[in-house]
Amino acid sequence: MSRRSAPSQGLQRRGGFALAAIAGVAVLAVSACGSSGSSSSGGGGSSSAPATAATATSGSIVWSASPLTGTGANDARTVLINAFEKQYPNIKVTLVSAPTDTDTNRATLATEISGGSSTPDVFMGDVIWPAQFGAHQLALPLSSVLPASYWSRFAPGLVAGATYKGQVYGSPLFEDQGFLYYRKDLLAKEGLSVPTTWEQLEADSVKLVHAGLVKYGFVWEGDSYEGLTCNYMEYLTDAGGSPTNSSYTAATLNSAASIKAITFMRSLITSGASPAAVTTFQEPQAMNTFGGGNAAFLRNWDYAYSAATTASSGGKLTASQVGVAPLPTFAGESQPGYSNIGGWNLYINPHSKNVGADLTFLQWMSSPAAQDILSERYGFISTVTSVRDSAAVKASNPVFAVVPTTRLTPRPAGTPQYPALSTAIYQNVNGALAGSTSPSAAAAAMQSAASTALSSTSSGGL
Amino acid sequence: MTALSSTPEQMVAEPKLVGRPDVNRQRLARMGWAFTAPALLVIAAVTIFPIVYSVVMSFNNVTVTGNGFSLDGFTFSNYNLLIHASLWRDALYFTLYYTLITVVVELVIGTCIALVLERLAAGRGWMMALLLIPWSMITVINAELWAYIYNGTYGVADYILNALGLGSPVILGTPTPAIIGLMIADIWKTTPFVAIIVLAGLVMLPGDVYEAAEMDGASGWYTFWHVTLPLLRPTIALAVMFRVLQAFGLFDLPYVMTGGGPGTATQSLAILAYNALFKNLSFGPGAAVATSTALLVLLGCLATLRVFRAQVGQEGS
Repeated sequence: MSRRSAPSQGLQRRGGFALAAIAGVAVLAVSACGSSGSSSSGGGGSSSAPATAATATSGSIVWSASPLTGTGANDARTVLINAFEKQYPNIKVTLVSAPTDTDTNRATLATEISGGSSTPDVFMGDVIWPAQFGAHQLALPLSSVLPASYWSRFAPGLVAGATYKGQVYGSPLFEDQGFLYYRKDLLAKEGLSVPTTWEQLEADSVKLVHAGLVKYGFVWEGDSYEGLTCNYMEYLTDAGGSPTNSSYTAATLNSAASIKAITFMRSLITSGASPAAVTTFQEPQAMNTFGGGNAAFLRNWDYAYSAATTASSGGKLTASQVGVAPLPTFAGESQPGYSNIGGWNLYINPHSKNVGADLTFLQWMSSPAAQDILSERYGFISTVTSVRDSAAVKASNPVFAVVPTTRLTPRPAGTPQYPALSTAIYQNVNGALAGSTSPSAAAAAMQSAASTALSSTSSGGL
Repeated sequence: MTALSSTPEQMVAEPKLVGRPDVNRQRLARMGWAFTAPALLVIAAVTIFPIVYSVVMSFNNVTVTGNGFSLDGFTFSNYNLLIHASLWRDALYFTLYYTLITVVVELVIGTCIALVLERLAAGRGWMMALLLIPWSMITVINAELWAYIYNGTYGVADYILNALGLGSPVILGTPTPAIIGLMIADIWKTTPFVAIIVLAGLVMLPGDVYEAAEMDGASGWYTFWHVTLPLLRPTIALAVMFRVLQAFGLFDLPYVMTGGGPGTATQSLAILAYNALFKNLSFGPGAAVATSTALLVLLGCLATLRVFRAQVGQEGS
């Protein structure tokens, strides 16, 4: 027996060291990806960018954008590019389809740009990125290359949201905000009015479910991800709280308002107003549940109206069944409730070799020509005031009629540490929703994790 | 083939190069190096450099800029941050017990499957092919499939549990069920891998030992415990090693199925590293997570080897 086992043991031992070495490779590969840009330094940083870049009408640029809506020839991105190329025939725009997951999208862009890549020249990025991308010089400060007059076309608050330390990094492309969608037919059957307080929404949901009219009451986004931070921000602001101080140096998440917000969110599940599975819902799950006729109320972004009423998007409802309203607030607070701001901006890669053509494209995308396509044809809320206020756009979608009546609350994205701050929020809220911690323990844990994130140096935290 | 073992009876004879003088041998060695040099250079560039660099990053304050990374000064602060972060401790704890439980269960089930397969006279090829389907599928796709099964509103697992009168827990939205759900998905996927490795070991066992056991009147159970299993130890060690390496780097299953949630219940070290590196762009702490994880895997593997070697040694003496 010893004669048999000895050679194989020897093999195994040497193999073991090799395997152990492989282990190192495998595990370190994660961080190795990030180190690819260590020695390269691509052309031009923000510092070397021209102070007043002239726009160019020729060249070729690469535009990175995640899918918006539509497929094939009806893909919104393709339609926009075709319209742009028709007006500027000498600029060729190549589309790079970015990941739909916002974090994967950011990771891809951050790796490419910090590695010195000159493409994509223009990229579509989340409204919560300016501070992080600005602090890490991953985006060109647009205010240094565009005239101050450019920014006056945008709706109030959007440019401020794209600003970090006095420089504007993103040109607002389209806006998202939270809305309350409700089933007109079901409310009518029970003789209910559209809820204006969270308490009323909860009671109505329970009533409709108990009456057997619908499977679930209220569906929203409760999974452990960025969308939960958006939902939480609405309840927090309604309760009179704020996540940080105004200079983003201290977290204020362990407040009475924060505990009230989490307690209410958890009660939606325990009261039966929301399904327990809401803790695993992102937008598509919430959308499918409502659009499939299985929920009475939905908190979602502006695309939800057309998604619920369009058969090709999986919606089984008709326009007469779906209503849209501003979000409710807590009883005793002023109406209406707060809607969180989402949306996407266009950014320019600081290494781009065609800044002139990039700027032409970026400016055209905020022109009425492009914004009309986005609003009228695809139902996105325009970032440009003149387009937003035009009668044709308002008439094209019932959601747009509600836009002027909503009250907006941004996420605390003015700090480069926002991703860690948001993670601290959604992980702990999600834990409380799942019932693994109490709302007050979740608020305390959130505060502690957020404080660590905000106090960390430029190297960031976990 | 040089002998690394310390005990004389474990020495392996060096193969004799008949009729070749040492000069010839050295020339061959030089040629060998020359031929492999390009490949080694590529490996050095794409793996060794990044690994060394990420270890260096873990000891620095790293700032990411549009022009690459700037490292300013040697520091232990990244590791200090880890030790004091409950996120890191929780992830470490989760990764450790996840690895332990899945590897043990996979080993037991995999060995059973291998024993059955070895006895199977007809259709072994077909059975093996069927068994390998879960293992050959891309993990992300596996994860999506299981996420459908566990889905809280239309998932079949929810339906079955409900039909059995066990209520309808939101499997991926509740900490303990989510962890068990991930483990089941992992075990489903990788048990066939263990089975194939163990089967390969079983097939290679010498027949005479079994004949001797049979003549001595040993029962089937006795033969399994006292002949098969000890002989299989090197094979099992190999399977354990592979599995520990994979399980410790657990990423795709929780990333797709739970995103590390609910809360941080299924946040593995790899997910923590990913979040730090690519979400927060904090490369110093992220590199520290990756480096410390690699170090732990290395130690874990060496410990595993030591345990198995000691046991084999006892059998031998």
